[in-house]
Amino acid sequence: MAVKKDYKDQNLAEKLRDRKYYAPDSNPEFLKEVENIGQTAAHMCYQCGTCTGSCPSAPRSSYRIRLFMRKAVLGLEEECLTDPDLWLCTTCYSCTDRCPRDLAPTDAIMAMRNLAFKRDIVPRNFLQTVQLIYKSGHGVPNNDANRAARKKLGLEEEPETTHKYPEYLPGIRKILDHYRLKENADRILAEGE
Amino acid sequence: MAEVKKNEEPRIGVFVCHCGTNIAGSIDVKEVMEYARTLPNVIVADDYQYMCSTPGQNKIAEAIDEQKLTGVVVAACSPRLHEPTFRNATKAGGLNPFRFEMANIREQNSWVHMHQPEEATAKAKDAVRIAVAKASLLEDLVPKSVPVEKAAMVVGGGVGGMQAALDLANAGIKTYLVEKSPTIGGRMSQLDKTFPTLDCSQCILTPKMVDVYRNEGIELLTYTEVEQVEGYIGNFDVTLRKKARGVITPEEAEARGIVGGGCTGCGDCVDVCPVIKPNPFELGMAPRKAIYIYHPQVSPLIYTVDFDACVKCGLCVEACGDKKAVDLEMKDELMNVKVGTVVLATGYDIFPIEKKFEWGYKNYDNVITSLEFERLICASGPTGGHLVRPSDGETPKRVAFVLCAGSRDNTGVGKPYCSRFCCMYSLKHAHQIIEKIPGVVPYIFYMDIRSFGKMYEEFYYRIQDEGAKFIRGRVANILEDPVTKNLHVNAEDTLLGRPIDMEVDMVVLAAAVQPTAETEKTRRLFGVSCSQDGWLLEAHPKLNPCGTTTAGVYLAGVCQGPKDIPDTVAQAEGAASAASIPIHRGEVELEPYFAQCIEEKCAGCGLCVNLCPYSALSLVEKDGRTVMQVTEAKCKGCGTCGGFCPGGAIWMQHFATPQIVAQIDAFLLGGEQ
Repeated sequence: MAVKKDYKDQNLAEKLRDRKYYAPDSNPEFLKEVENIGQTAAHMCYQCGTCTGSCPSAPRSSYRIRLFMRKAVLGLEEECLTDPDLWLCTTCYSCTDRCPRDLAPTDAIMAMRNLAFKRDIVPRNFLQTVQLIYKSGHGVPNNDANRAARKKLGLEEEPETTHKYPEYLPGIRKILDHYRLKENADRILAEGE
Repeated sequence: MAEVKKNEEPRIGVFVCHCGTNIAGSIDVKEVMEYARTLPNVIVADDYQYMCSTPGQNKIAEAIDEQKLTGVVVAACSPRLHEPTFRNATKAGGLNPFRFEMANIREQNSWVHMHQPEEATAKAKDAVRIAVAKASLLEDLVPKSVPVEKAAMVVGGGVGGMQAALDLANAGIKTYLVEKSPTIGGRMSQLDKTFPTLDCSQCILTPKMVDVYRNEGIELLTYTEVEQVEGYIGNFDVTLRKKARGVITPEEAEARGIVGGGCTGCGDCVDVCPVIKPNPFELGMAPRKAIYIYHPQVSPLIYTVDFDACVKCGLCVEACGDKKAVDLEMKDELMNVKVGTVVLATGYDIFPIEKKFEWGYKNYDNVITSLEFERLICASGPTGGHLVRPSDGETPKRVAFVLCAGSRDNTGVGKPYCSRFCCMYSLKHAHQIIEKIPGVVPYIFYMDIRSFGKMYEEFYYRIQDEGAKFIRGRVANILEDPVTKNLHVNAEDTLLGRPIDMEVDMVVLAAAVQPTAETEKTRRLFGVSCSQDGWLLEAHPKLNPCGTTTAGVYLAGVCQGPKDIPDTVAQAEGAASAASIPIHRGEVELEPYFAQCIEEKCAGCGLCVNLCPYSALSLVEKDGRTVMQVTEAKCKGCGTCGGFCPGGAIWMQHFATPQIVAQIDAFLLGGEQ
């Protein structure tokens, strides 16, 4: 267990915090959960960095998918689920395409997001996206600028989606309701205000 | 002909081994032993800590003597491990060694059922009961001795094959060295320098090539392939295809009555030849003519006509003149040789790394493989030893080396194994460019540096000291600048935890190695197994690394798995030594698991003759009837004929139908009669 010292100054306490990895602080079940939800053998990662090297997010952020794989192996549940970087994956699957161990790091990240969502740890913009999908069937709905551009290109103003066929919206809502996604998004957003 | 003998009254001894806790840890050995005592025909049952120890073996011998046993069962490990031990113990007790039967209660039981002691014990009882049933019906058998041909064959003329051939020949054994290309030397002759000593590869190889060429005990057969193999240890009948070379040697000229003729290697023919082709020795980076040699140090120094390219204009024939060495009408010839043992040294090819699209090989000009690098940095290579960019001929100043290119890859595209010598030659490459190009920076992208050999770690230290930059990260992808043809190597420096985009002038891919295209064909001809990834399978990875499961066939070099030059030469010497043993002994014992014809039952239909995969059966006239006859030395006891014979006229020694039926009954009836 991490050694705690009784500094009076809170800043100093944080600065000098024990940062060693102690096995009892980790949760071995976390790796199993990630592997089970993500359906990928995360423990077979050999940390070559092909994933981060392929990642379009990494050069522009502090997101390091390789580190999430490492933390999963070590059972560092708290660090993974509370790290805002978890939400910077674009799910492009480049890492999954190139992983020499044939793993799916993207799916491991998605598994961690699922686990985080269960604990209501989700960035607000993701929740707002949920609300938009519930409302329009789109995470990024059509707008006037888009409609004008489409018209200019000789396309119909509305694409072949729920925008053109709103009668399919109830189906999408049924799925979201089934997983209580909208309900949870509304609740978490309201609690945060 | 064998007689269907039944033992008058079987008296069986059963011995159950604890193997320390290997067996006793999950199987109740005492319970198995007590159970054995209740089985029919069992006279004595005992157990011991280690049956394979001397006291354990003595127990068997003593029991045979005291109890007048007719059969012995040991319940222990796999017969692959200790069957010979217990057969000897049985023999020591005065019983025929083939009256021994083994029940495997370790590899196939205690080790796999470690956490189910009750079920494991029950299974061990089954195994003992089945073995006792067979032991009750076992018969005396006598191994057959066959003489061994005092000659050996080595397939593959690389450094491994050459070393094996030299050792065999120097041990006084006539050796045929068969090589598919026009010269011996193999991959090693394509290399510039060797790690970690930085010896010039050709300089240390050519003396060996000359030794092979001059050795009177070696018959060098270049441009020759194995066509067909028949026979068995001691008596392999090998058919070789001598491919039409289009050029005759001085000896062949003499045989044709051309005085002072034959190829002298003068090269006059090359100058006049109008056909230009890429030279495969230079990996296509230099031209050659339709009549060619690979490089100046070839052995034998005889030119070869590439009949796929030759237009038969006849200019070379004219240029050759009175030597009359060129024969454009030459055809392939088949020749037969008889050898006692065989060493396979068929080497390796480079994995087609263009299959890993992300690194752009064959797509980007300045991405090359390590073998291409070897030719470019070699003084006798196409550029005279100047490393240049294929796109513009400029000298690169920043060179990236990509390790594990296609190795340690579980995607199904690359190879799952470590190719084992790429780390070291890439370090050597870094040294070579530092030495030759002032101001150059080698960037080595690695996952782990595997410098495991003697003086290898010290070499790693030296190259790091010389200024090579090591980046711990596997290369994700490479992009080409379409204007400059420079390359952007994308990876993560995993130690820094930051993605990098390294602009370099040239990328060298340390591509994985794989078995040669011919390996599969050759191994099938000799009946040798291969592992999942195509490398030829040794008899035992630790205790018999040179042998194969086919008696009389041995392995040397990379065909058995990736290895560097020292390991290849060491294994070649081991294989040569192993291959010389049966030849020096003069005869080999074959296990007597032969098929036997019960002539009274044989109808002479001959169906078995066509089924036999080893051509061991034939039909003969005997006492006015046609019956089948087995050539025992050829029979492998596979049982194909015995299983098929419609009249039940074939007796498989040691695996006879009554013996197998007794085993099945013992299992299914649970000991009830």
